[in-house]
Amino acid sequence: MSDGLDSFLAAAPWPQRPGLRLLLALARRPRGAMLLARAPLAAEAAGATLALGRYDDPAVAASLGWDAEAVVARGRQLRRAEGRP
Amino acid sequence: MSPTIDADFCIVGAGAGGAVVAAELAEGGASVVVLEQGPRHDPDGFTARPPEMLARLYRDAGQTTTIGSPPILLPLGRGIGGTTLVNSGTCFRTPPRVLERWSSEYGLELDEAAMDACFERVERSLSVGEVTPELAGANAAVARRGAERLGWSHGYLRRNARGCVGSGVCVFGCPTSAKQHTGITYMPRAERAGARILTGADVRELIRERSRVRGVLARMDDGSRLEVRASEVVLACGAIHTPLLLARNRIGDASGQLGRNLSLHPATAAFALMDEQVNMARGVPQSFYVDEFAGEGVMLETVAGPPAYAAMSLPLRGEQHSRAMACYPRLAQLGLMVSDSSRGRVLTLGGRPVIRYSLDDVDLARIRKGLQRIDELFRAAGAREVYLPLPPGVAPSAARARDLRLMAFHPLGTARADARPAHGVADGELAVHGVRGLRIADGSVVPSALGVNPQLTIMALATRLAFHMLGRPVPHEPSAQAPDAEIATAPTTA
Repeated sequence: MSDGLDSFLAAAPWPQRPGLRLLLALARRPRGAMLLARAPLAAEAAGATLALGRYDDPAVAASLGWDAEAVVARGRQLRRAEGRP
Repeated sequence: MSPTIDADFCIVGAGAGGAVVAAELAEGGASVVVLEQGPRHDPDGFTARPPEMLARLYRDAGQTTTIGSPPILLPLGRGIGGTTLVNSGTCFRTPPRVLERWSSEYGLELDEAAMDACFERVERSLSVGEVTPELAGANAAVARRGAERLGWSHGYLRRNARGCVGSGVCVFGCPTSAKQHTGITYMPRAERAGARILTGADVRELIRERSRVRGVLARMDDGSRLEVRASEVVLACGAIHTPLLLARNRIGDASGQLGRNLSLHPATAAFALMDEQVNMARGVPQSFYVDEFAGEGVMLETVAGPPAYAAMSLPLRGEQHSRAMACYPRLAQLGLMVSDSSRGRVLTLGGRPVIRYSLDDVDLARIRKGLQRIDELFRAAGAREVYLPLPPGVAPSAARARDLRLMAFHPLGTARADARPAHGVADGELAVHGVRGLRIADGSVVPSALGVNPQLTIMALATRLAFHMLGRPVPHEPSAQAPDAEIATAPTTA
């Protein structure tokens, strides 16, 4: 699991935190995924959270034209150059 | 014994309402202490990566959820700037029809003329201006093309931004500090005028002497306690937490309305696969609106974000999801929000908020209609496919509440203002009925749904309140139109 997704889960409130961790654990296993398929809302929550982590990966994002590091570097440069807070 | 600070005014919360009141009071010569539960966020720490920023900038990592049919995700900002730090920056004045309703139904003397000076002052402070088509980007161009072909009323949104280059991550922390949130506008003004700002301060207790509030007790992040004694306390913790603080202190519920009347502007969004390159995160995510159906309670606004954001919200699964995400550069997105008639309630369980809200039939019909309109607009714009946020095989017209995937960003009304003590929590001057020395400056006093993004309304009400407390009229100064800067191409690897 990426650091970003881990911090996202860690900051979730109870009872979402343990609930989401359980759903993710299920979604990663074939039998668990089959079980989840019977609960569409739970499957959706697990799928959305996994997708959030997967597409946050810099290599995956870069393949889709998004470079978070470059966006941040440009922002930092502009802030410094223009004396913004 | 807790350390004690004395001040003229103590402001609890540093978001849209609290920051404005603090700055105006401090600049008016008053001694002001601001207590903010969250931290001060350093823009050098913004990474433009959604999971990390959700965890850092949002309360509960943006996973606050309502209980009801359907459950609704309600992301709230936390820290200096509050939700203004993580909103899209859209600025609408309160619609005149809403002000008229507040006057006739709630006895609030807040007509357009009375509010004009407040709006003008806020808009000048926040550099509010209309987004240019160039800065809005290709996602807005898709929506505009669809609206034009259908002959629907539309326009570019006004936002609080200065020197925006379209980084595409307004809701994950603006890396250029272009978005003029209250943490970089009003709070520095308050500090320069001598206000004392304390972060990590969790206010639990309002100190009362008979029928007057004399200050607050806060628990600090390091475990210490702090007492602030003040002539007046202004609560600005937002529509979810202000009613909880009042309820914990058994204040403000003589009318039975405390925590009730919650409106949210339930929202959802659809995607479309276009033939053209959209690259939705290049440009201002929320930049364009379609108000053709505003009179029926449905507003359409563009939304967008980087791949991780899109992947999380794309209403597809498995292979279909992967195939659509592989086409991310050609995906467009458009959202809808409804001016809701449903009403929820904020309660507390173990010190945490429990938010109950269920969609009524009127709002369900509005959302169905909104989804149909988005589908129409995307198809008119030339979409190859449209991905509506509904289960497979469910048409918008047949959607049930439990089929919907909703979010909401505008909680309002839980300590509503009403001139009549038997019907509201605060009066027309936002003073809590039945006690002296306590006022409210956040979305909780807004008595009804607005149908538009509420930050300007909250800030204008806060401006009005601050000048009322200072005993002065709000200075009249015409707004400066501050168009956003020319777009620079967002850096990408493609």
